[in-house]
Amino acid sequence: MLLQLNKIFKWVNVGGSRTFLLRDINLTVQQGEFISIMGPSGSGKSTLLHIIGMLDDADEGEYVFADQNVFKLKEKQRSQLYKQHIGFVFQAYHLIDELTVYENIETPLIYQDMKGSERKAVVADILDRFGIVGKKDLFPSQLSGGQQQLVGIARALASNPKVILADEPTGNLNSKQGEEIMELFKKLNKEDGVTIIQVTHSEKNASYGSRTIHLLDGRVDQIVNS
Amino acid sequence: MILSYLQIAWRNIVKNKLYSSINIVGLATGIATCLIIMLFVNQELGYDRYNEKADRIVRVTFQGNVQGEKMNESTVMPPVAQTLKADFPEVEAATRIRDYGKPNLIYKDKSFKEDAFAFVDSNFFRVFTLPLIAGNSKTALVEPNTIVITKAFAKKYFGNDDPMGKIINFQDGNFSPFKVTGLIDRVPVNSHFQFEVFASMSGLPEAAKPSWTSSNFYTYLVLPVGYDYKRLETKLSKVVEKYIGPQMQQALGMTMAQFKAGGNRLGLVLQPLTAIHLHADFANDLSPSGDIRYIYIFCAIAIFMLLIACINFINLSTAGASKRAREVGIRKVLGSSKTELVWQFLTESTLITAIALLMAIGFVYLAIPFFNQLASQNLTLNFTENLFLVPGLFLFMLTIGILAGAYPAFFLSSFKPVAVLKGKLTSGNQSVGIRSSLVVFQFLISIILIFSTTVVFNQLSYIQHKKLGYDKEQVIILPAYLLGKNSEIFRQQLQNDPRVSNVSRSGFLPAGPSNNNNFFVSPGNNSTQLIKTLRYDVDENYIPVLGIKILSGRNFFTDFSSDSSGVIINETAARAFGWKNNATGKTLTTSLNKGEKKTYTILGVVKDFHFKSLHERISPLVMVLAPDPGMLIVKLKPGDTGEFLTSLKTKWTKLTAEEPLSYSFLDDRYYRTYESEQKAGQILGIFSGLTIFVACLGLFGLATFTAEQRKKEIGIRKVLGASIAGIVNLISIDFLKLVLVAFIIASPLAWYIMNQWLENFAYRMVISWWLFAWSAAVAMLIALITVSFQAIKAALANPVKSLRTE
Repeated sequence: MLLQLNKIFKWVNVGGSRTFLLRDINLTVQQGEFISIMGPSGSGKSTLLHIIGMLDDADEGEYVFADQNVFKLKEKQRSQLYKQHIGFVFQAYHLIDELTVYENIETPLIYQDMKGSERKAVVADILDRFGIVGKKDLFPSQLSGGQQQLVGIARALASNPKVILADEPTGNLNSKQGEEIMELFKKLNKEDGVTIIQVTHSEKNASYGSRTIHLLDGRVDQIVNS
Repeated sequence: MILSYLQIAWRNIVKNKLYSSINIVGLATGIATCLIIMLFVNQELGYDRYNEKADRIVRVTFQGNVQGEKMNESTVMPPVAQTLKADFPEVEAATRIRDYGKPNLIYKDKSFKEDAFAFVDSNFFRVFTLPLIAGNSKTALVEPNTIVITKAFAKKYFGNDDPMGKIINFQDGNFSPFKVTGLIDRVPVNSHFQFEVFASMSGLPEAAKPSWTSSNFYTYLVLPVGYDYKRLETKLSKVVEKYIGPQMQQALGMTMAQFKAGGNRLGLVLQPLTAIHLHADFANDLSPSGDIRYIYIFCAIAIFMLLIACINFINLSTAGASKRAREVGIRKVLGSSKTELVWQFLTESTLITAIALLMAIGFVYLAIPFFNQLASQNLTLNFTENLFLVPGLFLFMLTIGILAGAYPAFFLSSFKPVAVLKGKLTSGNQSVGIRSSLVVFQFLISIILIFSTTVVFNQLSYIQHKKLGYDKEQVIILPAYLLGKNSEIFRQQLQNDPRVSNVSRSGFLPAGPSNNNNFFVSPGNNSTQLIKTLRYDVDENYIPVLGIKILSGRNFFTDFSSDSSGVIINETAARAFGWKNNATGKTLTTSLNKGEKKTYTILGVVKDFHFKSLHERISPLVMVLAPDPGMLIVKLKPGDTGEFLTSLKTKWTKLTAEEPLSYSFLDDRYYRTYESEQKAGQILGIFSGLTIFVACLGLFGLATFTAEQRKKEIGIRKVLGASIAGIVNLISIDFLKLVLVAFIIASPLAWYIMNQWLENFAYRMVISWWLFAWSAAVAMLIALITVSFQAIKAALANPVKSLRTE
């Protein structure tokens, strides 16, 4: 078991009344799974992903990641856990504009206090694996959307995480680029055993996963195993 | 990691060229101002510190209060040094300086007028740290008629010859020839005395006189290490009783007890050597002194300049936060801790400061000659001589980097990644309150400076236009004593010159350096009512030449021999003696030596005229008929002054071969009295200009941000039919409100500060409402011009364009 969510609730208080973003979410994810989260806008997909990614807290419930109770960890320990095991991929890529492709991929390694020589080796390896060695000195603005997302994924993988959380990774791409990215995820999942949790609107993309969780109004509506 | 911080910092600086330039130029201006002021303050505070015993040397001064008149003399009587050394074991050494004016010295065929000649005691070079390059510091000045000279002096007289043993002559023959027995390099610039020649005191008869009534000697004591000079000071009242008392009784005809009973005070007061330069408030000091108040003012300006520049950085960083927020969010997602982000932003602010510092050093090199000229200083920024500057500046850079960067760093690094990445951040608005207060602070300082500068210049103009009670125009002062016996011939020639209206013979001048004489008199025959006045020795032409108005009685007549015991007094004196309009014909009595008395009759009363600077109230004045042909006061008829001066020169050179003609205009002398205020005004003006410039840079940056942020709003408003004026108004009004708030807070502060400054003048302008209005208007106008540039640009933008990019 990689992570487990027990009875997760999250709400916001708007003008005296409480609006639930997530209600009683229970989820167990095993190492090597490929999970898709689907649901209409406002159903709580991104919120759930952010909680799994430790970017956000739940108001109630328990979250166990790699045998540690996340909500009870101190900020520092949580950050440590998170830095080592979780990689994020965003719909809008979110590369740092002022950094080159190389530097963008290198950044998470810097925050892990990896030594310079080791960092060089890791980044070189990743660039090679993704076939973007020739683009390493370019800035994000010089790349196409598909290429930027490729860098985004490369960056997420640089720190060799156990799980990649992807928030509509193909949302800003055309269908051909989207397909390439999904194939990449599939390959990473199959060949490297990386656990992937993605939020998506597209049935087609969801079908790449081994399990699809449908959310509706903050609740788990249905779980489909493919 | 630091390298990667620096890299991203550099790229951000390059990317945001406008904001980076605003920050860098602002900080550079602030730092440069600060550096110059620090150099200045360092020099001023370092005065006389070159002496190894600087902390143990005190100067003995003579202070008192006689009939409500303050006395502040930096010189004391000849026996003070010896007496204190003999009577108090804690006085380790005592040494004296007797400034000897401007003698003409001769060596073979060379003759120069020396304006830095002093007699000093033989232990002088053991008290003050002025190492002798040649000669023995212990014995050099033991013998009479020996001198120690500076290298520059030696070069001037002896060229490259060895100066030791050379003989120098006095032109006027008062002294036997002097032999050079010692050589020093030079007196350091930051010494309160500046002499080229130190002559042996043992050749000066005056130095050995046991007189306690004349004081011409600057006297310094060396005290033990760690000894509090105040302890010695309390014991000095006994010295006054014991030595001054009896002689005063002889001179004034009253005992010390009577003198004190009249509310008078006299005493010897000690002053630490290191305090002389900045705290000197004495008549006849050895060098123009600094003023600790200007040190405080300049320090305050330096600090405020830096703060204002730092505020620009803070404001622009927080206003532009939304630009950086995404980066912060991503970095946090990639595993950065808050601390790491804080460090990253601090690196960035420090990098900006470093660039600004380099630029500032360039500014300082460019500005120093200008500042030196303006403030009569000789500052230098010399890294090789002052190695401490390098680590000092580095530390300074870090401090400013942190000062400017700390708040933005914490503000930016505290963004929540989820909020940022979802694009929910409406940032830039969270810190509006703080930004507004900071802008208010910037303008508060600017307005105070504008106001202060205005007041200073108004007071200067008040001084310039003040009715002085005498006419300073077309009056030339000539030191005729330089002509020796020929001075009377010269006077006759001038008197007969058709361009000259009249000539007076007196060394008592209403403006600039003047003779001065205290005069203790009693009205009528009542010797218990002793009043301190000033005595001016004048001739019968003095009053008409200066255009002084006679209120009652008459001027002196030369034909009346009895007029030598007649006096003319001013209104203030008449009041002090208790007379109203009936002063004429009354008598005054004064004590002469050996208990004799002399009685004067009042011939007339003149309207008060300002014979002292406007810093001082007009005091009682008694004029006696005692022409001094050494100084001529020449009133010209209206006409060509240049031509007159040429003929003057011809006349002069016919009468003397050696002495060059020197003259001064009375009005110039008057204006020069207020030179320090004029300079302070100019410096203040420049600093205010710079401060406002930096503050406006920041305002410009903020206006740019506002225009950018409200681009969409402006577009919509324009589509809905808003006019350009309406849009400009919309953006400008918020900033003008801030300036208005700043003005309201600044007014009482500025009023208080400038009132304090004006207190230094007995005669001063009135701070009226329009000065406030003027300062407010200037600040408003400058702010408006700054802001409206961006506002107009935003208002003129095509709304279609701005709405499409959304």
